[in-house]
Amino acid sequence: MELLIKNGAVYDPKNGIKGDKTDISIKDGKIVDKVSSKASVIDAGGRLVMPGGVDAHSHIAGAKVNVGRIMRPEDTRSGLKPRTKITRPYTGYTVPNVYAMGYRYAQMGYTTVFEAAQAIMKARHTHEELEEIPIIDKGALTLFGSNWPTMDFVREKNMDKLAAYVAWGLLASRGFGVKVVNPGGGEMWGFGKNVTGLDDVVPNFDVTPRDIIVSLMKVNEMLGLPHSVHLHCNNTGKPGDYKTTLASMELAKQVRPSKDRQVLHVTHLTFNAMGGTNWGDFESKADEIANFLNNSENVTTDMGQLIFGSATTMTADGPLQYANAKLTHGKWGNGDVELEDASGVVPMYYARQVSVFSIMWAIGLELALLTKDPYKVLLTTDHPNGGPFVNYPEVIALLMSNKKRQEEIKTLHEAVHKRTKIPGIERELDFNDIAIMTRAGSAKVLGLLDTKGHLGAGADADIAIYDIQPDQIDPSVEHAKVKSAFSSAAYTIKGGEIVVKDGQIVATPMGRTFWVDASVPDQHTDIMMKDIRLKFKNYYSINLANYMVQDAYVTHPNVVKAGVISVEVS
Amino acid sequence: MQTVTLKPKKEIKISVEAENISPDKFAGKTEKDIQSIEIWMGNRRTTIGELFSVKVEGSAPAADTKLVLEGDFSRVKRIGEGMSGGLMIIKGNVDMHVGAKMSGGKITVTGNADSWAGREMKGGELIIEGNAGYYLGAGYRGETCGMRGGKIMVMGNALDFVGEHMCGGEILVKGNAGILPGLSNNGGKIVIEGNTSRPGSEMAKGTIIVNGTVDEMMPVFKLEGTEAVEGVAYRKYTGDVIISGKGVLYVK
Repeated sequence: MELLIKNGAVYDPKNGIKGDKTDISIKDGKIVDKVSSKASVIDAGGRLVMPGGVDAHSHIAGAKVNVGRIMRPEDTRSGLKPRTKITRPYTGYTVPNVYAMGYRYAQMGYTTVFEAAQAIMKARHTHEELEEIPIIDKGALTLFGSNWPTMDFVREKNMDKLAAYVAWGLLASRGFGVKVVNPGGGEMWGFGKNVTGLDDVVPNFDVTPRDIIVSLMKVNEMLGLPHSVHLHCNNTGKPGDYKTTLASMELAKQVRPSKDRQVLHVTHLTFNAMGGTNWGDFESKADEIANFLNNSENVTTDMGQLIFGSATTMTADGPLQYANAKLTHGKWGNGDVELEDASGVVPMYYARQVSVFSIMWAIGLELALLTKDPYKVLLTTDHPNGGPFVNYPEVIALLMSNKKRQEEIKTLHEAVHKRTKIPGIERELDFNDIAIMTRAGSAKVLGLLDTKGHLGAGADADIAIYDIQPDQIDPSVEHAKVKSAFSSAAYTIKGGEIVVKDGQIVATPMGRTFWVDASVPDQHTDIMMKDIRLKFKNYYSINLANYMVQDAYVTHPNVVKAGVISVEVS
Repeated sequence: MQTVTLKPKKEIKISVEAENISPDKFAGKTEKDIQSIEIWMGNRRTTIGELFSVKVEGSAPAADTKLVLEGDFSRVKRIGEGMSGGLMIIKGNVDMHVGAKMSGGKITVTGNADSWAGREMKGGELIIEGNAGYYLGAGYRGETCGMRGGKIMVMGNALDFVGEHMCGGEILVKGNAGILPGLSNNGGKIVIEGNTSRPGSEMAKGTIIVNGTVDEMMPVFKLEGTEAVEGVAYRKYTGDVIISGKGVLYVK
């Protein structure tokens, strides 16, 4: 199978191409230097060509996504689209069915998406859903921040055992990286309590969130995992939480990266760049976070942009969700994952005229616009916490057009003028910046920049063509055209196959699931497993044999090797 | 004035999803236009012309359009969904979801209406001359607001959960109502002329008046004494006290 894309205005930040007319050659699912004359040809006609979109933080599969579906049958009534000869039915807006997840991402030109949180114990469920999401490549980050073994090994200061546990946990969950959510807080929520900062001691374990974060960062780099530690900070969602966020980001200075990437990814800043002391004097502190990022090299973030309208908040941060449910007086789903974490699901409606929501809308945008280097702020909505991922084109248009932002600001609560900086920010991002925030940057943060997020030879042939000509459009003025083009790709090519044409799904191949197989010395695993067996004997409700995700759950695996010792395969 | 008359061509055994039967969808259209409107029967896509005979007199906007449905519509669902104006007369029984989400106009059902009649209605008037099924004027699964406005009148009886999650508007049941009318209410007014049981549980706002017998009261209301409403003396209760509700329940 050979394919040639001609006359595209290509944006490929990794390879330094900024809108130049460049031909792209594809053979057997990969990008190559050239193809034979037999290749079929797509004439892009000067239209915008980018690598397939990469999303490093979204909630697309697993236990809490499904709790959201169960709690919100009313959401399932929106976004209905009957089956066709090629596609299965679509349902839902904030919590779509598995099919709509894959189709809608592909229709926006996205080809790789990572689920941001799975507990090891719930990983089978995550993979059962991932197996049904069509087209896109995907993976899942595994929760380690409040796991009993993690806290035991941190207290023992035994990094070898912790590394062995992380490696084993990734294998057990077929996970891709280390996710840490409100470290220590998930455990304390089991007693109706929470940690209030980095130095609170978690009872029964005698460790602090600071210890947990630093130890996991060290171990992450010891193992040379592709992705860094991915942190949802303590205190997230409370006025004044930006101080905890900054203090957590400072911790990254203690660890040296093992690869060309950050050592800490701090996620969904819309929810943790909040100033003030209560909801009354609540304000944006995105400028302080941006200032930190501008003077630091080891930390990346993502926006978690708020989208007005319906959202379903879902997180492993159980106590945060209890607070949210008390605010909304609405539905509340609460989960406890035995020795591993907590979770909560709360539907939200972000109304424009509410001061807090207007300010939160500004936080994500301020962060992206005040941070100089777009590699440090990825474009996300923390789907479906800030809003559903189908709104990425809206966020792109907002970032590219000050005019659009000013039009929006007119419809918002006046607090947006007094307690955010957004009305005075004139910066407008260009297509290259957007390609970084949605492609090259996300791939780099995930540690997948060799095959994802670029269009050089050797990359996966994941490509999006959008129906706008960058040299003939002024995104600042014609933001509506930009939004509509990014909503409905002219072509999405996944692994060399055309999957979307003129916004319609034309093929539904099955994507791959990325997971990391990290090796550690056997003796470390043996010692660690003694503790784990004891935990299963004494505390877990299931047997170890029923806990591991088996290969049958991951039928299209893409295994990324890592580890403290390299394994020679002959 | 435009009048459109629909009659089933033959007995409808498989349920039809008829959200496209409403004055808004028919206004200003010819017989041929209306016949070609899409409609689903079970899992099969078909047209109004396939299932019904269509007669049109005159042409007018939705507000001046009258639909007359004659024959057996007891397997036809979602008639008048989202209608904003005009008149609709259904001569006989009708299936679930009649007048769902309607915001204006008037629907009269001369027979019985099945469950979810006037679901999430925003305005207009729905009159059921026979009996109503379950969840009259309620919110569908998961919704936090059922009926928000308009008026529903049932001449006969209604089954359980009348006006569940109601946020506004008015429901009048001339006969009896099943258990738990006004469950989780957040506004609006329900009047039941006949008997019912356990009204108003979990209500945060709104008013319920029961003129018949209340078989059983939920123990979540506070008796405030007696009060006259339009010259009739009632025992006045407020609640649901468990959720600090400000709902008012009048019982004779």
